Amino acid sequence: MTITLRMAWRNLWRHKRRTWLTVGAMIFSNLILVFSISLQLGSYQMMIDNSLKSYTGHMQIQREGYNEEPKMRSSIDAIISLAGRVRDQLGNESVAARGVAFAMTSSEERSYGLQIIGVEPEYEPKVSTLPGLITRGGYFTGLNTEEIIIGAVLARNLRVGIGDELTLLGSGHDGSFAAGIAIVTGIFESGIAEIDRSMAQLPIGYFQDLFGMEGRGHNIVINAADLSEVESAKQSVSSVLKDRDELVVLDWELLQPGLKQAIQADFTSAWFMYGVLIVLVAFSVLNTQLMSVLERTREFGVMMALGVKPARLGSLVITETAVMSGLGLAIGALLGIVMTWYLSIVGFSYPGMEDMAERFNLPDRMYPSLSILSIMLGPSVVFVFSLLASIYPAIRLFFLQPVTAMRAV
Amino acid sequence: MSGLPLKAILMLAWRNLWRNHRRTLIMLAAITVGVWAMIFMTALMRGMVDDMLLNGIRGLPGEVQIHHPDYRDDPNVNNSMPAPHDALLSAMRVPEVTAWTSRVRVPAVISSERDSRGVVLLGVEPQSEVKVSFDLETIIEGRFLEDSSDRGLVIGAKMADRLETDLGKRVVVMSQDPDNNIADRGFRIVGVYKAKLASLEETYIYGGRETVQKMLKLGNSVSEVAISGGDYRNVDRWLGGIQQAAGNDVETLPWYEIDTYLGSMLAMMDGFVLVWIIIVFLALSFGLVNTLVMAVFERVREIGLMQALGMRPSTILYQILMESLLLLLIGLALGNAIAVGTIIPLQGGIDISVVAEGMEMMGTSSMLYPALKLNDMILANLIVIILGLLTSILPAWRAASYNPIEALNKT
Amino acid sequence: MSSIVCKDLCKTFQQGEEIITGLDHVSIEIEAGDFVCLSGPSGSGKTTLLNAMGGLDTPDSGQIQVGDTRVDQLGKGPLADMRLHKIGFVFQAYNLIPVLTARENVEFVMQVRGEPAQERSHRSHDILKEVGLEGMEDRRPAQLSGGQQQRVAVARAIVSQPALVLADEPTANLDSVTATQLMDLFVELNQHHNITFVIATHDTRVMAYAKRLIKMRDGKIISDEKQQHPSTVVS
Repeated sequence: MTITLRMAWRNLWRHKRRTWLTVGAMIFSNLILVFSISLQLGSYQMMIDNSLKSYTGHMQIQREGYNEEPKMRSSIDAIISLAGRVRDQLGNESVAARGVAFAMTSSEERSYGLQIIGVEPEYEPKVSTLPGLITRGGYFTGLNTEEIIIGAVLARNLRVGIGDELTLLGSGHDGSFAAGIAIVTGIFESGIAEIDRSMAQLPIGYFQDLFGMEGRGHNIVINAADLSEVESAKQSVSSVLKDRDELVVLDWELLQPGLKQAIQADFTSAWFMYGVLIVLVAFSVLNTQLMSVLERTREFGVMMALGVKPARLGSLVITETAVMSGLGLAIGALLGIVMTWYLSIVGFSYPGMEDMAERFNLPDRMYPSLSILSIMLGPSVVFVFSLLASIYPAIRLFFLQPVTAMRAV
Repeated sequence: MSGLPLKAILMLAWRNLWRNHRRTLIMLAAITVGVWAMIFMTALMRGMVDDMLLNGIRGLPGEVQIHHPDYRDDPNVNNSMPAPHDALLSAMRVPEVTAWTSRVRVPAVISSERDSRGVVLLGVEPQSEVKVSFDLETIIEGRFLEDSSDRGLVIGAKMADRLETDLGKRVVVMSQDPDNNIADRGFRIVGVYKAKLASLEETYIYGGRETVQKMLKLGNSVSEVAISGGDYRNVDRWLGGIQQAAGNDVETLPWYEIDTYLGSMLAMMDGFVLVWIIIVFLALSFGLVNTLVMAVFERVREIGLMQALGMRPSTILYQILMESLLLLLIGLALGNAIAVGTIIPLQGGIDISVVAEGMEMMGTSSMLYPALKLNDMILANLIVIILGLLTSILPAWRAASYNPIEALNKT
Repeated sequence: MSSIVCKDLCKTFQQGEEIITGLDHVSIEIEAGDFVCLSGPSGSGKTTLLNAMGGLDTPDSGQIQVGDTRVDQLGKGPLADMRLHKIGFVFQAYNLIPVLTARENVEFVMQVRGEPAQERSHRSHDILKEVGLEGMEDRRPAQLSGGQQQRVAVARAIVSQPALVLADEPTANLDSVTATQLMDLFVELNQHHNITFVIATHDTRVMAYAKRLIKMRDGKIISDEKQQHPSTVVS
């Protein structure tokens, strides 16, 4: 340990209470920052995962313009073989073709206008969690069977169960009348009311027959191994589409702009609040270090008389702050980890959270997730701002006259 | 000397405060920033939630709604109820109720020759509907419905896009009648509206009540009666009378029970405001205690002298508390002033359209209007003063409990 | 080499409304290896003159030369370097860094000069032994008596082997026995290491040690005489 470091350490403990109060402010803020950033990042991840995995997927191939105006006729020709080529290109099974149509869906007693999705029974379970959430009945038995899978709320509203028949009425690809029947083979419960109320799936072969699609579909859903690999997978998919100018690959940020923006909006408002805490810590540090410099005027005067330059004294003050902030960082982050870790195991909730969680595809208990980023991000910013706050007291030393300083009380 | 008058304590405290003006100014700055942040952030949050609620209530127009008991779970034509009876009509004539309307509201499919979409078909009374929810200014093409037997249809601009249809064109609306026969009818589009939230444009289509009733073979039945009182926060005052008049055969609910997301957002925001104010206060409190501890520490000799001269410990305690109170009051005055000063220029709204689609997920529009609430300001000020004085007691008490001889000998 | 030449130094201070004359056209030459006492009542200008020689304070006009260096023409940084490398300072008591031990106080200056750690600990040990503080190296200033503290200050001043030591009232807070011991130490260093000493004091015990005694009043030199038989160390 150099003498400067030793000096800095001992100087801090000349006023134990003052130092601890300042460190306390840092600990408090760091604790809150670690916890809420972990919670934030954790829930963003979960929001993205849950929203994308239930339906949207990491990216989709669509006809250009379909995303803005999802029209029946903005379709992809020979979609099943294209999906197969993408699968081969990526060496990844998580690629599935879909068709989308609207139909008046009627049971004996009830009728609802619904979005009907045609899916590839073999591959759909690899891109979406819905097939796995079937609680009654089972999944499709073939590509062309007259089977339909619906959400639990929809089943209740239509008053149907497994084996019941639904009539579908809508308009086909060329605008002509489309009508058919399908037997309810499976009922899923995602827990997301919106999906359970409005989602119905047909096997894509039957879907194409029913709506006169003639081999067409509307999108190919692709999942990368994880979010970070979306970009490279997108490149690779683009190469398959070279001869299909009318098609584009869109990643989740384009498919669900609301999701990204909701995260951005939340992130921004959260950082406003963190900023306030950090500024308050900086004021605490400024006060403490300024007082500490002022009361040592005489001592600094003596050192300057001995030939020590102000820059060196300034670096002593900064070192003191760094040691103090380091202490606040270490203890704050540690307590933050302990508290967050505990809550990440037992989970927690607050009144009203259930409704909010459902809106954003989150579970109704929150489990913050710790990562190096979520632990270090907040405390490091506090650390940096504490150092910045000590610049003013340090700079004051440059205006110190040794003779007058030594005369100070 | 033993019981110093308040005026003298005040003067001493004031002068002591400015002995170390740098420290006092830094602490004041911290309190000011803290109080500003408490009020400013709260106003933004309140503004957001207000907007969310207003949009939400507009989305389900009417702060109080009456339905068939099963309608909310299963919004089907079968779960309709008779038009308002006399008892209810007279109950709705109280001054608190500014408007009411009845609607048919059923799921339907709308088709053009190009495409089909699932929608919610509203059969409305145009005259009263515009008083409860529909804003005539949102009509960008054509007109709104003229009376309840109007045979036209009003749809959202986005829906018109989706269906590749236009004003004056015909569309087919399909739903079911009470016997589950497909009920369909051709409508001519007489108006196109643009809503604040794009999702509403894609959800609601408006037809005349009688026209829709005829199409659905509903007779005189309606799906809901929507009642508005003008202020969503004060629903409870008149809710009881309506509930009683409506009777037990139907379900009469305020908005916060119909859309629990909105209701819980409001409750959550109250909790959030309190938590936020307390967290900011706690972050401040370290600095406050620190300032007082330093002030006491520097004056140990002086305090010893005062005690030696016969000043009571309690007077010293009051004096330190008074210093803290002065500091808090000045900080609060500045913080409140700056908060009001920064919020007023923003009353016209803050453009947050870069994250518009994200805000729509939360249910708010792309302009954020900060809402300064007197209650929130009072809460922030009270918390700062009360908790501020409480945290000051420790250093003040320490100062008061010095032994005069020891204190005098301290350098 | 480290002779001091002051020519026509003037310095005034403002104290409230009044303008006080610190130095009034002072000219003086001090030879290397001398042992000089500046004496006079407080406010006579002796501390001002001392500070000017050490580059702690700049005169309003006049020239100061220490060795080959024109002190009055140096900027703040070079002045600090000069103090660090060429001049040792001893002030009244309480001029140690309170959070450092005796050894660390001595080493601190060497560290600022950028000397290697081994050299530092070696030299600080020797020098503390020389000023008679063996065994007390690890005490902090608060655990040392006034005289011991001044010895640490002397050790700190001479550890970098300066040619010149400037001392301002070094005995002001010391009892007479301790003061005598300190002066004996100064004389010994003057004789054995050929260090020039300039001491500002109004303590007559100190004056008795001086080879040359300069008396000041109201910013002027009123007498300047060589003493034939200054007190010396019996060793």
